[in-house]
Amino acid sequence: MVGITTIAISFLIMIFIMLLGIPIASVMLVMGVIGGVLAFGWPLLDSTGPVMWSVMNDNLLTAIPLFILLGELMLRSGMADKMYGATALWLNRLPGGLLHTNIGCCAMFAATSGSSVATAATIGTVATPSLNERGYDKAQSLGSIAAGGTLGILIPPSVNLLIYGSLAETSIGQLFVAGILPGLLLVAFFMIWIIINNWNDTSSQIAEVPLSEKLRASTALIPPAIIFLVVMGSIYLGIATPTESAALGVATALVIVGIGGHFSIEFFGRCFIQTARTTGMVLLIVMAAFVLNVTLSLTGVAQTTTNWVTSLGLTATQLLLVLIVFYVLLGMFMDVLSMMVLTIPIAVPVVTAMGIDPVWFGIFIIIMCELGMITPPVGMNLYVVHGVRQDDGPFMDLIRGAFPYVIIMILFVLLLIWFPGIVTWLPRTMYN
Amino acid sequence: ETRALKVLGQPGATGEIQKNKEAPFFQNFAEKTGLDVTANFQTLDQTGVKGAEELRILKSGLFDIISLRLQQVSRDSPVIMGLDLVGLNTDYQNGRETMAEFGPVVDENLQKNFNTKLLGLWPFGPQVLFCNKEITGLSDLSGVKIRTDDQTLSKFIESIGAIPVQMGFSEVYQSLARGVVDCAITGPSSANASDWPEVTTHILPLSYRFAVQGYGMNLNTWNSFSAEEQQKIQAAFDELIDEIWTYSEELYVDAMNCNVGKTPCELNKPFELTEVPVSDEDLAVVSEGLMNVSFPAWAQVCDASTEGCSQSWMDTVGARVAK
Amino acid sequence: MHRFIVFVSWLFGLLLVGLSLFVTLETVMRKIFGASLQGADELGGYVLAVSGALAFTIALSERAHIRIDLLYTRFSPTVQAALSWLASLSLALFGLFVARYIWLVIHDTLTYNSTAPTAWSTPLIYPQAIWYGAMLIFTLASLWMFGRASRLFFTGQFDRLNAEFHPKTAQEELAEELSDMERR
Ligand code: NA
Ligand code: NA
Repeated sequence: MVGITTIAISFLIMIFIMLLGIPIASVMLVMGVIGGVLAFGWPLLDSTGPVMWSVMNDNLLTAIPLFILLGELMLRSGMADKMYGATALWLNRLPGGLLHTNIGCCAMFAATSGSSVATAATIGTVATPSLNERGYDKAQSLGSIAAGGTLGILIPPSVNLLIYGSLAETSIGQLFVAGILPGLLLVAFFMIWIIINNWNDTSSQIAEVPLSEKLRASTALIPPAIIFLVVMGSIYLGIATPTESAALGVATALVIVGIGGHFSIEFFGRCFIQTARTTGMVLLIVMAAFVLNVTLSLTGVAQTTTNWVTSLGLTATQLLLVLIVFYVLLGMFMDVLSMMVLTIPIAVPVVTAMGIDPVWFGIFIIIMCELGMITPPVGMNLYVVHGVRQDDGPFMDLIRGAFPYVIIMILFVLLLIWFPGIVTWLPRTMYN
Repeated sequence: ETRALKVLGQPGATGEIQKNKEAPFFQNFAEKTGLDVTANFQTLDQTGVKGAEELRILKSGLFDIISLRLQQVSRDSPVIMGLDLVGLNTDYQNGRETMAEFGPVVDENLQKNFNTKLLGLWPFGPQVLFCNKEITGLSDLSGVKIRTDDQTLSKFIESIGAIPVQMGFSEVYQSLARGVVDCAITGPSSANASDWPEVTTHILPLSYRFAVQGYGMNLNTWNSFSAEEQQKIQAAFDELIDEIWTYSEELYVDAMNCNVGKTPCELNKPFELTEVPVSDEDLAVVSEGLMNVSFPAWAQVCDASTEGCSQSWMDTVGARVAK
Repeated sequence: MHRFIVFVSWLFGLLLVGLSLFVTLETVMRKIFGASLQGADELGGYVLAVSGALAFTIALSERAHIRIDLLYTRFSPTVQAALSWLASLSLALFGLFVARYIWLVIHDTLTYNSTAPTAWSTPLIYPQAIWYGAMLIFTLASLWMFGRASRLFFTGQFDRLNAEFHPKTAQEELAEELSDMERR
């Protein structure tokens, strides 16, 4: 057993080395190896081979590349680009107009994909010309895209939820189902905020479009709906495991892309190389995390931390409030994936010891990760959306525009603490 | 200075035996063995290590003691499955006999190939059939989909004309509810804990196997103790193993009662399943399956990896069960 | 190098597409006809092992292994070069580590003649040997890139080193997405 001070110092050293720009996966592997050898000598290393095989031979994790491929197939066939116009026709006339389209479109895209960079980049690019043309406030419009883009990891399918489930030994199917309701509610809260903030807005007073035209344009929304129904329907009804549902999703996407006439060597070449990059990046970190995890569990880091937290005498709610502060701070400086793999093995035993549902906590962590994507100084979605804007405006616009969404997400998490049923109700109905 | 052994246990949510026997034993290791030795006890799921890798990890010396999941580690050492062939262990009495007869053969093999000393063998208990459709015996299972997670059991299921479907334990509840499978095999107590009786109607209490587990100690660790200390350690494990066998039977009897709404039902949740009486024909089918299906299939794999494997089984267990 | 990466990414992609079709067939048959092909689970595990290992190499050559550039961008070019050299050293060590310790897995599998206790009873050496091969490609690629970084670093070509090895920024990721959008 190591002391809490050693744990804290090691954690800070690790984060510091990561901030210097050494690859996250290497840092985690090196920390796992050094810590393990110091505590247990060289036999530790002989056991890393079997650990690496068990991670990479785990059919559950096969869903990771499959879901990434699914998102790439849909994205690169131009689906998201077309969705924007169709969504705009429906949401245009709400106070705030196109801002709702940004959120709605991001949410729908999220239902087929887990990549927030691609979502924010695509929708940002499609949206900015119309937003500029119609004179929307810069901060508001850019902020809504950056925040909307984060929905990709909460609304299933979500690679991040998969990784949580695998590290926390929690049912992926339940986690996915648990993400639906909070995802929809968060979309609703984003929209309510936009309505309140634009109550006197007149730009949305544009001519009503005939229903027939709306319906015709809406055919662009059918593919993402089909994908979502196939993937989540098969999981919810118990027909398929998450990996099988990912495979069903890929097969369905191939049919849709084929009907759309997108099959070409170039198309598949781009999808494959993009999927491979993202998969390689994610899996190397996951593999290193499992090696590090052996050292963490053998040295009793989770137990020490649990004991330490218990000794503070916090209630479950107080602990969660402390964790919100912790994750907001961490999310300012860390990238989302590293934040997850570093904290889950320690945080989950601590909170479950306090009687908190691990599925609920999965959704909690995901929302804290979403927050991290739009808080400066390290906020991937802020950078990306800043990059697509066509004027040379200040980065401050992004920070200002995203700030209300940071507050909404924090309030939303507090709501989830108050009413945990928002998360846990739907997965429980799966069995009745 | 107090010595601390690193111990890897069963996964945390495995059930009552893990919770009430295994974990307390290692938490009170010094007291149980009478030695100045404590145990740093981790459950399998805490470490993220997969069950199939346990023998290799024990050999590496990363852990001193591992609660081996025998069905999974048999990947590396097929000899092990000779302890629990389908149709071999049909009740607690002959289950204990099998361990006494074939345990030494497994121990010798583990010492030689995996630098591992086998300290004892214990069962989760009889693995029986739960169905979400009316059955009166094995003869009704023709064309029925039965969940399995293991190749040997699949072969037996095929031999009685049913269709084996492989899936993980966590998916079984939903699959039974939605008719993806009609039947599934597990211990009455773990079925009870996972609420299978909510999604099934019939139970056929015929034991296909015993889900045997074992405690292995790294041989270097074992040899670092004096002969006297070894004796104390072995005695402590013998006592634990004996307790688990008794407890496993209590759990089995109680869970069988609870599942079908009988009393006493004290350790499990009450349900109302129909208990299908076990006929002599069905017993005969299972024991014929042992020598006609399970043993030949296993002997082939086992002899390929270890010379004389099936012969040593015939010389020990076979002398009792083969006809 | 580019053509090799294209080849590897096609191999990667076709493995996943093939798996998807197989699993879809299995799932549909199980649901509709009640028949099970068996082994989709097992195949999925092997496909992940091999395709994941191939993906490591592609991520490496595309500089996709995550590095946080918060402090990095504030350093002088010399410090940046030193950090990029260290980063490439760490990946090379990762590659060597993988090569060394997965060899033990292969060695044990050969010694014990290990066979998966699954529907297909696959002798484990087949999938593991392919997996190891894919991992060795990663090792070689990481060593090759470390060699290149070292040559640039020790001959003092810091600007060149920074241009080739700096962490990928959000701007670059975005530029790639935008150029892709223009094509569709
Ligand atoms: Na998603
Ligand atoms: Na941030």
